[in-house]
Amino acid sequence: MGDIFDTIGFLRGAGPDILARFVRAHGSTDHADIRFEAVFNRSCSANDGEPRESVESESASFGVSVTAADRTGLQGRGQIGVEIGRRAFDRGRLVTELKAALTEAWERARTSARERGAIVRTGGARARSLAARKAAAAPAVEADVAPIFRIDPRGLAPSELGGLARDASAAIAALGPAVAFNAVSATSELRDELYISSGGALIRQGFAFSQGDCYVVAQGADGHQELWDVIGQQRGFEVLLDGRADGVMPNPNLRGFALELAREAIELAAAPVLKPPDHEVTVVTDPHFNSLLAHEIVGHPSEADRALKMEAAYAGRSWLLRSLDISEKGRRIGSPLLSAGSDPTIDGYGFYRYDHEGTAGRPVKHIDGGIFREFMNSRATAAILGAEPNGSARATAAALVPLIRMSNTFFLAGADDPAKMIADVDHGYWVRGHQIPSIAESRENFRISARRVYEIERGQIGRLYRSGSVMGDSKKFFMNVDAVGNDLRLVAIPNCGKGQPMQAKRMSNGGPTLRSRARLAGG
Amino acid sequence: MIKASDLRRFAREGARVLAAESDLAEFELYCSSAEQFVMRINYTSEIPCNGVEEGKSLAADGFALRIVPRGNPHEIGIGISAGEIGLEPLRAALAQARQTIVADPDFAGLPARPRTYAAPPRAAAGLMNIEGSDLVSAAWRIVDGAVGVLDNSAGVPPGVVIGGDLTVTRDRMALASSHFDDVRVDESATFSSSVTALIETLDAKGTASALGQSIAQMRASVPMLGRRAVEGALGLGGGERPPAGNYRIVFGPQPVAEILCYMVVPSLTTGAFHAASSAYHGRFGDAVMDRRLTLIDDPQWKFGAINRRITCEGLPARRSELIRGGHLVGLMSTVYDSHRMATDEHRGEKLGARAPANPRFPAHSGYRLGEGGSRRYDSTPGAAPTNVIMRASGGVSEKKLIEAVGDGIYVGRVWYTYPINGQRAGDFTCTISGDSYLIRDGRLAGAIAPNCLRINANLKNVFDAPIACGRSISPALVWGSPEAFYVPPIAVASISLSRVGE
Repeated sequence: MGDIFDTIGFLRGAGPDILARFVRAHGSTDHADIRFEAVFNRSCSANDGEPRESVESESASFGVSVTAADRTGLQGRGQIGVEIGRRAFDRGRLVTELKAALTEAWERARTSARERGAIVRTGGARARSLAARKAAAAPAVEADVAPIFRIDPRGLAPSELGGLARDASAAIAALGPAVAFNAVSATSELRDELYISSGGALIRQGFAFSQGDCYVVAQGADGHQELWDVIGQQRGFEVLLDGRADGVMPNPNLRGFALELAREAIELAAAPVLKPPDHEVTVVTDPHFNSLLAHEIVGHPSEADRALKMEAAYAGRSWLLRSLDISEKGRRIGSPLLSAGSDPTIDGYGFYRYDHEGTAGRPVKHIDGGIFREFMNSRATAAILGAEPNGSARATAAALVPLIRMSNTFFLAGADDPAKMIADVDHGYWVRGHQIPSIAESRENFRISARRVYEIERGQIGRLYRSGSVMGDSKKFFMNVDAVGNDLRLVAIPNCGKGQPMQAKRMSNGGPTLRSRARLAGG
Repeated sequence: MIKASDLRRFAREGARVLAAESDLAEFELYCSSAEQFVMRINYTSEIPCNGVEEGKSLAADGFALRIVPRGNPHEIGIGISAGEIGLEPLRAALAQARQTIVADPDFAGLPARPRTYAAPPRAAAGLMNIEGSDLVSAAWRIVDGAVGVLDNSAGVPPGVVIGGDLTVTRDRMALASSHFDDVRVDESATFSSSVTALIETLDAKGTASALGQSIAQMRASVPMLGRRAVEGALGLGGGERPPAGNYRIVFGPQPVAEILCYMVVPSLTTGAFHAASSAYHGRFGDAVMDRRLTLIDDPQWKFGAINRRITCEGLPARRSELIRGGHLVGLMSTVYDSHRMATDEHRGEKLGARAPANPRFPAHSGYRLGEGGSRRYDSTPGAAPTNVIMRASGGVSEKKLIEAVGDGIYVGRVWYTYPINGQRAGDFTCTISGDSYLIRDGRLAGAIAPNCLRINANLKNVFDAPIACGRSISPALVWGSPEAFYVPPIAVASISLSRVGE
């Protein structure tokens, strides 16, 4: 039968011609593209020290997107996604399905353009915004980016990955009856993506992902604690087996990570529930907690589609943009110590070279010394904002539509010593590790629960509490940042959800230790 | 999509091939074909927009094979084939399954009964045949309706945002097993549409939604959603921003649905009890809600948007009574989880003193679902709700509900509801995001500005002792959740609210 990854090579040769012929035959086409991917995934899980499941899957999928115009130039867009799988081995069938999908996408695009034109022509002033400007086409880039791994996921025996998950789960179970339940899973994946556009782009990118998940429920006489966390790298199985010591996102091996999480859950189950004061306090938040802050309060509101209200119905808007005339761009939203950005070029869980519109990914500075600077964008949203495209449009699968997504989004490191940041606090709280977020509709307010909350009294770390959350208004929290640590760390975030249908994307978020003021909530 | 007859034929032929493999004690062959269409709507009056942002779809076919080799009855192997059904991919999947065998002491065999099952006939539904371009046009009717209201309304200020989607999900499955004498086949199609209108300069938000199983329902309900959302927003502008404090609250159907979706339903599975993570840990059989409340999951409810006749384990999809008269009396489950709960040496502690000595949790709810809620061959069976129905005995009209509150807040829509301290603690937080009103002297007294208040509460505050419950139930959609909710409004005595923003 062959190797499904060979399909990439076939389409590199055949794909541009398929697309060129399609565009010639469908004269109203402004843009068309094909994305194809082959994916190999091996996953194993264990509960309470016993194996649960071992799964190997090999799949292939494609997505085609067509933008077509009506006679007045108004555009519509159609997109078809197909998980073609093993049918891709039959090259003739693959080509037939691609052509059929392009035609169907074109028909939807034309229908949409026609309907749009009818409203624009007959509608009143309110229909003017539907006469949208067109985005510039991506440059005709050719590129080939290889994945990085030492141990190829395809070469792993199921028992290697399964043994690792079972061993970690058994180690947790051996901690005793304080652990009521544990679940450990390990995944190693290889994916190969191809992007071909009618503008001449031909980009191949390979990725290796390896990830370990651990969920623990600990309980004692006085309480219980659930914890879940993840380690993940764009590497092979070696990062789960041996851990990874270098880079901005180091992790222990899977067993070490799982045991550490379980011990923390046991300690927290015995800790009292936080009963916070009824006023604002000083909080020192650690890098792990700040990863969710960066994610929810910087990253998501800095996505241009969200800012331009394109997701208002399900994901809300952004506190960073009220209208095209009223936004925080160029204005102070945080203390001069605070900076944050997104960077797909660094070696984090969200690394890539090109987005899924063929635009090269580059660092995007969202906050610079407290001033808001730039949104992540796509070609269409860049055109609306009058900005340069910065390569932030990605989909989690070739069959899905690219959305504006974070890559590696984090607060930048400062100069302060984290130990001194705590020692300088007369009374406050040290907040470590994130759990669950809840954010207001434009992300102007948040409540994020923490794993550990310690009292700080006269610079000394005191009692440990569980079930504590930090609550605040986003801008006020950022304006009150009065110290930024030198201990930048990123963590893997495997499941950022966005879009309809939902796309759960891998990325990394993080930052250094921060100190600010906020209210706390308890249990 | 692959036709149901082709899925059935492959399952039957595949079963014949597998039955001849001498090393297999048991096997199960599950194949599915699914398609989801999503027409995303985005209109902004002051920002260039596309109206219908994209007309997109996703198709996925394939099969999964589970085998139990002779020898150790706790061993199970899984093989998956994406994109193709047929005997050649079946042989490849069988080789894969043999390589991935694990010995799981909690695995006690594949679903086995009933050996035959004649599923009830299902009504014909045009949604199985609707084309993508037709849905593109239907989505533009929504936009047209909304823009039309704006054009015809004098003095509507700038800053109008209309968003949402029209989604059609359709799937088919066929399952053959060494335990079954027949091939189990099912198919279903559902539409849902949710439209939100914001008038930013008025700080106003209105929503409208529809869901159902038939093309007739879709044609009747969807075109007016844009208009209804805008009209709702126009009626809600200039809202007040109440201070923080404890309030008497009416939770409307959408908030009740969202709290059930994220806080209650995930706790009502055997899996959650086994993992000691249920919000009702140790309380099976106890009064966990007010005695007026019942909660059921019904995959074949005639008024429900979801229709499942057969689960993804090949078993009859049946109604599960979860809460009766406020008491926890049932859990959703799969075959694996039911066995694991039954043999759990700690089940006494996990279920609690009021649970039966040998509780049985029928596996009526095992589905293999993907992100969009359609059946997926490569998902593991998990307990999943379908049509979730909450009723209240002695329910009153909404007018009486509001009167019973006296002074307080009617919460029509909440946002981002999560178990902030973990599932088991029952604590949740969310923000009041729209469609909400002040209540004064037992009457609605004016709109509340959206997004100005955060709820910090526990499940007990909502369901333990409501002031009153609504008599009628309404459908409600929760974003990102494939199940459908049918729930009454509920009035409660004290919910803590904090301010959002200055």
